[in-house]
Amino acid sequence: MKRGLKHDFSLIAIMLIPIGVGLNVVIAQLVQILRLPIWLDAIGTIVAGMIAGPWVGLVTGGATNLVKSIFTPTELPFAISSMAIGFTVGMLSKKGMFSNFGKTIGAGLIVTVIAVIISTPIIVWVYGGISGSSASAMTAVLLASGHRLVQAVITSMGLLELIDKTSSVIIAYLIVNKMSDRYLSKHNYAQSFIKSNKKSKAA
Amino acid sequence: MEKKNAVLSLYPTTKLLMILLFAISVFIIPNYLFGYAIFFVCLLIAAIGSVTKEFANLTIKGLFSLSVLIFVLQSFFYPGTHVLWEWSFLAITQEGVDFALGLTSKIIAVGSSLILFFRITPVKDFVYSLEVLGLSPKATYVVLSTLTIIPEMKKSSQIIMDAQKTRGVETEGSLMVRLKALLPMITPLVLSSVASTEERAMALEARGFTVNKRKTSIYSIEKTGRDSFIRVMLLVILILLIVWRVAL
Repeated sequence: MKRGLKHDFSLIAIMLIPIGVGLNVVIAQLVQILRLPIWLDAIGTIVAGMIAGPWVGLVTGGATNLVKSIFTPTELPFAISSMAIGFTVGMLSKKGMFSNFGKTIGAGLIVTVIAVIISTPIIVWVYGGISGSSASAMTAVLLASGHRLVQAVITSMGLLELIDKTSSVIIAYLIVNKMSDRYLSKHNYAQSFIKSNKKSKAA
Repeated sequence: MEKKNAVLSLYPTTKLLMILLFAISVFIIPNYLFGYAIFFVCLLIAAIGSVTKEFANLTIKGLFSLSVLIFVLQSFFYPGTHVLWEWSFLAITQEGVDFALGLTSKIIAVGSSLILFFRITPVKDFVYSLEVLGLSPKATYVVLSTLTIIPEMKKSSQIIMDAQKTRGVETEGSLMVRLKALLPMITPLVLSSVASTEERAMALEARGFTVNKRKTSIYSIEKTGRDSFIRVMLLVILILLIVWRVAL
């Protein structure tokens, strides 16, 4: 199957973008209803990246923050971070990092690192360190106890993102593995999730 | 939509240029009073466009709470030497207050102009004008269908939640109980919505969505003389702002 910027946007992959954005928004709300201490606001992006590749993941991430910014414009700068997450997951999927559970946890760690590297400068430059998320309280405490700004942001973001992004990646992995072979076979990057492929390799 | 309204009837890209000017102007003029003034300009335009209520609602909920938080935390924790007020280990410094004023004025100016733009411009119009400028109809589809899919998905997530509760999944209680409820809620939502992409793709294919021909639109909006007038005005204001900055 041909891959790359031109081939990734097949019709069915394009259909996945609005669904991914919708999942990001709706799951984040569901998590709030359940009063869980995490965000899980990137599962749609991660699913899109996993089965439709880096470019579709990137567009899904960017579109999510554009749509969110219609109501909360403070989300707009984080579009870059969402795009990076989608792209990274797509690249990891291309490299076969989601072929088993152990590798998936490793992939979750890589996504966390990328998310922190991209989000920290945005929080520091655009919002002066406090972006109003749940990490801000921790940032403030670290600042008060004498840490430097960048250090405080990285520590608080890193801890929260580590829990949030690894669990997002694991949840997405579990769900994608439940999709039917027939559906997965229509996507460019879903080979490692197709069950009959896995069985034939084992045999 | 009433077409008579002086603000609402402008062409979408004209409104976009106006909002961009507002957003850029706070970086041209660094004074924080100017940033806060932009908010009142936005409020005035919202009033003319009769969207004051929604505009005020979203700015108060989304922007002011964040700005107050940033303001308080920054004035306490920004490093500085000129102490204005002190209580045990907490101290407000002049540098902190200055930094917080500058930062929040920019956030409020840029944020409120963005909120204003989407209140006076229906997304449909905005995407249409971008398509005229050469945006792919596929991108138009993605944006518009996203906006219709989200409310639909919210409904189906509610249905799934009720169904799972009926089957005995606990959604209240300790953290562990609520965590366990997460997967049974999310999995059906993701699987059903992802499976629906197949049908959508076929439906669109059957209507010639992927045909490589120029597509016509049944919906259209026209530019008027007022648009060109306002565009020229915006350019003049931009030049004046730059002159003001250089002269200062």
